[in-house]
Amino acid sequence: MSLLSGSLTLRSAPKVTPEEFTALREFIYGLTGIDIPAQRQYLIENRLGPRLGELHIPSFGEYLKYLKFSREKDAELKQLFELITTNETSLFRDTKQLEVVRDKLLAPLLESLEKSGKKELRIWSAGCSSGEEPYTLAIMLHELLRVKLMSWRIDIMAHDLSPAMIAKAQAGVYGEYSFKTTPPDILDRYFTKRPEGFEIKANVKRLVRFATLNLNDQAAVKALPRSHIVFCRNVIIYFDTEMKKKVLSGFYDNLVPGGHLVLGHAETIHGVSRVFTPVHHPGGIVYKREG
Amino acid sequence: MSAVRVCTEHLEPGMVLWANVSGMDGGVLLGKGAPLSAQDIGLLAEADIPWVHVQRESIADPREWEERTCLEYVRRFFVFVNPDEPFFIQLFRVAVRRVLDARRHGFDLRCADEIQARNVEHMSDVFFRNDLTVDKLVLHETQLASFPDIYFKLKQVIEEPNSSAREIAQVVGSDVGLAGRLLKLVNSPFYGLASRVDSIERAVSLVGSQELSTLALGITTINFFKDIPPELVDMRVFWRHSLSCAVFCKLLADYGGLPRERMFIAGLLHDAGRLLLFKDLPYASVQAMLYARSNMLPLPDAEQDVFGFTHAQVGQRLLAEWNFPEAIVAAVGHHHDAALTPDSAEAATVQLADILANTAEISAGGVYVVPGCSSEAVASVGLPLADITKVLAAHDAAIDELVKALL
Ligand SMILES: C[S@@+](CC[C@H](N)C(=O)[O-])C[C@H]1O[C@@H](n2cnc3c(N)ncnc32)[C@H](O)[C@@H]1O
Repeated sequence: MSLLSGSLTLRSAPKVTPEEFTALREFIYGLTGIDIPAQRQYLIENRLGPRLGELHIPSFGEYLKYLKFSREKDAELKQLFELITTNETSLFRDTKQLEVVRDKLLAPLLESLEKSGKKELRIWSAGCSSGEEPYTLAIMLHELLRVKLMSWRIDIMAHDLSPAMIAKAQAGVYGEYSFKTTPPDILDRYFTKRPEGFEIKANVKRLVRFATLNLNDQAAVKALPRSHIVFCRNVIIYFDTEMKKKVLSGFYDNLVPGGHLVLGHAETIHGVSRVFTPVHHPGGIVYKREG
Repeated sequence: MSAVRVCTEHLEPGMVLWANVSGMDGGVLLGKGAPLSAQDIGLLAEADIPWVHVQRESIADPREWEERTCLEYVRRFFVFVNPDEPFFIQLFRVAVRRVLDARRHGFDLRCADEIQARNVEHMSDVFFRNDLTVDKLVLHETQLASFPDIYFKLKQVIEEPNSSAREIAQVVGSDVGLAGRLLKLVNSPFYGLASRVDSIERAVSLVGSQELSTLALGITTINFFKDIPPELVDMRVFWRHSLSCAVFCKLLADYGGLPRERMFIAGLLHDAGRLLLFKDLPYASVQAMLYARSNMLPLPDAEQDVFGFTHAQVGQRLLAEWNFPEAIVAAVGHHHDAALTPDSAEAATVQLADILANTAEISAGGVYVVPGCSSEAVASVGLPLADITKVLAAHDAAIDELVKALL
């Protein structure tokens, strides 16, 4: 019998009631700081609906109970993170901005650290998704320092909320899509071809330390060692003002005096935080913690 | 035995590859001949391979599979609409039939992985997010560039209620290209004039002076945006969509008793704001599209997050700056939130026309999801459910010829 002979429905997930929506929204916000505005009710239905189907849970209210009280709740929270976060990323994303980072931040920083005899550098990639961003930074450091890299202690900390993304980052194997903006010679020098994709080489990989971390967890953020540069690109766009404030003050505290924060191209802290000094360069704005 | 092209997201265990699939290193990732396992399919997805060829005979129930995948395909376009609104349920059904039909006539579904963003890294924006407002953006444009003379002459004619058909004809006739396109438009079967019109003067007396001048004004605008980078938008695709929307606007105008020409032009220019964004903020525009796609957000919502305003607002400001009739300006400004305007019939008509245009494009390889619309706005247009198929058919019959005439 044809699927089309019956009357086709458009609804494929249970309906979320306004009360359920509010409760879920608050739950997700409290957990991650990610704010889902009220008019995005279909987003919740379409993203989480299939998961409810898999679990044979009939309503969003029941699902929330499951998230809060079931024995499987920890595992389910991970699933929920996967469904509500977006991990869109690529290597050498926003090349113009990365040039600013290389020429205006990294190069002078390496020089002054070298002069002062402290060849130790730490960068934090907060919300690193599947690892393309911290690996890009590691490659840039290789390109800048070449053989001198041996004498440096470099630590790139890379964190994400999603355990699946961190696992992918640790594997370090990427499909074609991740490379849409990577210069071909970089690809040749820093990756090994495998049938299932390109694998990042060990000399790059060893500069990066991955771990799961929730930016909403202030204690965990406080416990991190200080950084010279914090990268948090295309992450705070998901947060509301209050959460943005909280996260930005965490970055401020983490930065060494004179250190810099780098946000995504389309992001602004205009009207959210005034502790940083915006530094304009053609190609992008970076934010400085005054020394 | 025969081969069929299958998107990776529609593969099922047991299907047999028709040819070897090569991996990123040029070697064989998966060999032909053996039934695919769930793991194999995962591997293809990991390697970003958008589609493969499989043996048709290895599909257990091809008809059922074809229908199911079409359904899944069309569903992806309807994630932003109210799934309980009868109008959208009906539209969904019509769209599924159209896709099935097209597929049986050789249309290949666009696979999820093909719909990815292009490389736009070399582009730079005129503005930074920190100093970005609708006003700055629009004024930057209108102060830099100017409309051709004909535009101002037309404006004069429109503002002068006693202009004669001859005067208007003189103005329009001074631009041979414009006059030719106007005549093609009013002579098209879609326009439905009883007799053939071979002079602008005659067209003015049949269509009306205000109406004809509005059409002329709208058509002039098409030429205004020329230097948009082609890797951002295919201008033909863009204007074809705009023209589709215009056609639907005119068809829908009759249900609400709205002026047809004015609605036609509102439809034609509904996305003018996007062109301005592409022009001055190419990089951020692509980020907004990516952000919309990866977050399952309607484009205006994504723009709101990325720019702090939407293309509808930009279009509204732009057309106001250019002195378009107030009704057109308002309709363009609210073509994504018609119910929020006090005088919403026009905006709702453009909103629904845009939705119909997007729906019509699904079976022609269009990649844009169908924007949502409140039930109040749907109701205010007055289109009976039973007429959806008819309106789509009228559009299909007219669009190719109009594209030829106007673009
Ligand atoms: C769009 S990706 C950005 C990846 C990369 N920084 C870039 O710009 O290409 C956003 C990432 O932020 C992560 N994220 C969202 N909320 C988070 C939170 N509360 N704590 C840590 N990471 C979070 C998501 O899991 C996702 O991988």
